[in-house]
Amino acid sequence: MSGKKKGEKKQVYFDYNLLFIIVFLLCFGLVMLYSSSSYISANKFGDSTHYLKLQIRNIAVGMVPMLFFAKVNYRRWRNLGTFAYIVSLILCLLVLFPIPVLVRSSHGQARWLNLGPFSFQPSEFAKIAVILFLAMIIEKIPKQMSKFSSVLKVGAFLIPLLGVVAYGNLSTAIIIFGIAVCMLFVASPRYAQFIGVGLVGVVGAACFIMFAGYRAGRVEAWLDPENAGDAGFQTRQALYAIGSGKLFGKGLGQSLQKMGNIPEIQNDMIFSVICEELGLFGAVCVILLYMLMLWRMMVIANNAKDLYGALLMTGIMSHMAIQVVLNIAVVTNTIPNTGVTLPFISYGGTSLVFLMSEMGLALSVSKGIRLESME
Amino acid sequence: MEPNKTYHRKKICVIFFAVLLFTFVVLGRLVYLMIFRGNYYSGLAADVQQRERQIKAARGKILDTNGVVLAGNKSVCTISVIHNQIEDPEGVIAMLSKELGISEEKVRKRVEKYSSIEKIKSNVDKETGNRILSYGYSGVKVDEDYKREYPYDELASKVLGFTGGDNQGIIGLESVYDSYLQGTNGTILTTTDARGVEVDNVGEERIEPVTGNNLRTSLDANIQMFAMQAAEKAYIQKEADSVSILVMNPSNGEVLAMVDYPEFNLNEPFTLIGEFAQYAGTKDEQDYCNQMWRNHCINDTYEPGSTFKVITASAALEEKVVSKSDSFFCPGYIVVEDRRIRCHKTTGHGSESFVEGIENSCNPVFITVGLRLGADRFYNYFEQFGLLGKTGIDLPGEAATIMHKKENIGLVELATVSFGQSFQITPIQLATTVSSIINGGKRVTPHLGVQVEDGDGNVVKKFSYETREGVVSDSTSEEMRFLLEKVVSEGGGNKAYIEGYSIGGKTATSQTLPRSANRYISSFLGFAPADDPKVLTLVIIRNPKGVYYGGTIAAPVAKEIFENILPYLELQ
Repeated sequence: MSGKKKGEKKQVYFDYNLLFIIVFLLCFGLVMLYSSSSYISANKFGDSTHYLKLQIRNIAVGMVPMLFFAKVNYRRWRNLGTFAYIVSLILCLLVLFPIPVLVRSSHGQARWLNLGPFSFQPSEFAKIAVILFLAMIIEKIPKQMSKFSSVLKVGAFLIPLLGVVAYGNLSTAIIIFGIAVCMLFVASPRYAQFIGVGLVGVVGAACFIMFAGYRAGRVEAWLDPENAGDAGFQTRQALYAIGSGKLFGKGLGQSLQKMGNIPEIQNDMIFSVICEELGLFGAVCVILLYMLMLWRMMVIANNAKDLYGALLMTGIMSHMAIQVVLNIAVVTNTIPNTGVTLPFISYGGTSLVFLMSEMGLALSVSKGIRLESME
Repeated sequence: MEPNKTYHRKKICVIFFAVLLFTFVVLGRLVYLMIFRGNYYSGLAADVQQRERQIKAARGKILDTNGVVLAGNKSVCTISVIHNQIEDPEGVIAMLSKELGISEEKVRKRVEKYSSIEKIKSNVDKETGNRILSYGYSGVKVDEDYKREYPYDELASKVLGFTGGDNQGIIGLESVYDSYLQGTNGTILTTTDARGVEVDNVGEERIEPVTGNNLRTSLDANIQMFAMQAAEKAYIQKEADSVSILVMNPSNGEVLAMVDYPEFNLNEPFTLIGEFAQYAGTKDEQDYCNQMWRNHCINDTYEPGSTFKVITASAALEEKVVSKSDSFFCPGYIVVEDRRIRCHKTTGHGSESFVEGIENSCNPVFITVGLRLGADRFYNYFEQFGLLGKTGIDLPGEAATIMHKKENIGLVELATVSFGQSFQITPIQLATTVSSIINGGKRVTPHLGVQVEDGDGNVVKKFSYETREGVVSDSTSEEMRFLLEKVVSEGGGNKAYIEGYSIGGKTATSQTLPRSANRYISSFLGFAPADDPKVLTLVIIRNPKGVYYGGTIAAPVAKEIFENILPYLELQ
């Protein structure tokens, strides 16, 4: 390994594949966002490009942290993990209280903080904070990670944040939990215990779904959306859209279900419009694109210069993977309905800005990888 | 700087492949939903996205034998509103209530009702529909529609029948031939967004309506009109309860006219008329409507009286129990068992031949002939002539014959049956039976429907009707035509005689039950030309005031009809 250090400075690698996929997904996302939202935004705001303009602004805003994180050596963030964790915990706590000007509610749940012209979802920030925090701790005590008790101890640090996030937004808590499990799984040489944790997680999520009041109806809606009345409405309409896409879809812009039939169409349910307009063919292409992206991330993680970089990549990769799989699973009614956005394509500012920041980090990690092992 | 160990890499790969596994699960789900359930879900999606509006199909016409339209269609409009598409509800309400003459309150209720599409009024005439369209209010729909129209109002009302609100036939031919006349409704499928507002750039899907087929009948509008005028005249002059006139072709059973006066207006079938008018608005209104729509020619039975002697005579001639030259003596009555049955001429006809007996319509002659036949043979002829069953005419509600049971026919019953009393048949049954006797012995099925045609007059289906040969022999048939011609030229039917035409016929005067009410039915059955009958007419006047003899009042009605239709049909 030591011999390879020589070539490091000469061969500055940059993962253009990943960058290309990101840019492609962002552009494709804009097209689909315009297609899915133009009709309803024309009716609601008198401007068919209402959501498109906002999303372009979001991308523009997201470019700044992405370039910044890509430029700066990722190792500089090693010591900021604890800080990020505490800040996100405070913000997530803050959003639980209905402070008039500062906190904005949507769908009966307070999830946004108002910051001047922008509003901001602290739970999105919590995801990246957890990635930074865990990578930091694990890198500091790599030897101890072979003991499962230490793994649990590290995991225990996350309980306060998970609790606070889960109180207001279960799906984000599930994602954070998933990211943490993946990172700890990579850090520890063990397997069996993680399978146990996975099972506990599934059972726990199932219990939570059963008992959480506002979600009880969702289970019925999941099992039989066509007879679940209002609770199954969104799922039902999404299924109609997906089913009517068939093999090659109705063609871009030809969706009929986007005309107000599917609630949150530009958001969580945008994949159903992709299915209706581009068909199974288009849907598979989009999924392949995500798989390609995850594969690039895996390559970067496996070849990262150090454990910290590998762990950052693991966190980012698992974040992406969980969101993509959960979103498509929800839209296709494979699992009960829960609000998860489709990365880069769904409308949403905070989510996009932090995803792009993560991509910046990933590109930064890619700069230091050892090319030799890539061959 | 902590290095990246092998197990770290391995585990990263494990995560990646776990994700791939999950991805394959959702991919499988996508394939299932989009390929195997694609048609199911796109069908459901279309239900959500499309609003259905019906385009009513025009009903087929009912034509007379010459193609004259007896029942047609009028173009009308149906006005509806689409709640979500209305931009100026107040304007729409004011406009609709003004144009349609409905109170604002009523229109408001419909306009403000949150429904996909709400019907305001149907059967609105075309000009009003166009005027409403010209206002250009959005959310107001004017759909073309058809309403049944009967150009001759009362003509053949009980035969043609009329249609209900859904264009379905209710009585008469309209109901019997409903399946041929009904068209197939079309639909306009409009794609709408979730609010029900039409999506502009997606065109309407139209499934065009198919017009129903036309029904060609054997009715002749002119003959029907002659017959109705004659019936009306008799109805007024004799202050009768009702007057029925049947005109049919005895050789094939085609009904040329069927009148049951008073007739009602087919364009307003629910307006009670004449004696029923007083019940309008009462709770029994519907019952009286049903009574008003009753066609006495087929729906009710009566005692045929002397016209039935045609059948007695045929049976007797066929069995050769009597010949034209046989002589009889009528003292004015005849004793059968313990009963003394009177002749209508109480002083008696004296000595007479069988021919004279028919001319005089002498009861003792026919009782004697009937007794010669005997109950068994007479009953068998009843059956052979088809009198026990129904005629099978293509109109609804034909009444069955009311007859003694075979084993209950004693001599007295046999005697009364011989001159047409103590049993009941429908007028159409009498006309059909006499037709089969005078046409050479072929039992025909009376009918109105001839064929089903498409809009261009091409035959879609030709109806065929059952016939049965050998009801009576040719010679009996010929003898009967000769005898009945004598009745008109020399006997009781002489008031139907027309110079230059040979007409056969028989009169009847029957007393209705109970006999004490002194109510009569006068009738006359005639046919022409007597030697080769092409047209048979049955006139029945129920409860006439004043003179009630069939020969005196019914025969002249038949004469009037013959005078009109024989030249019209170019018959000698």
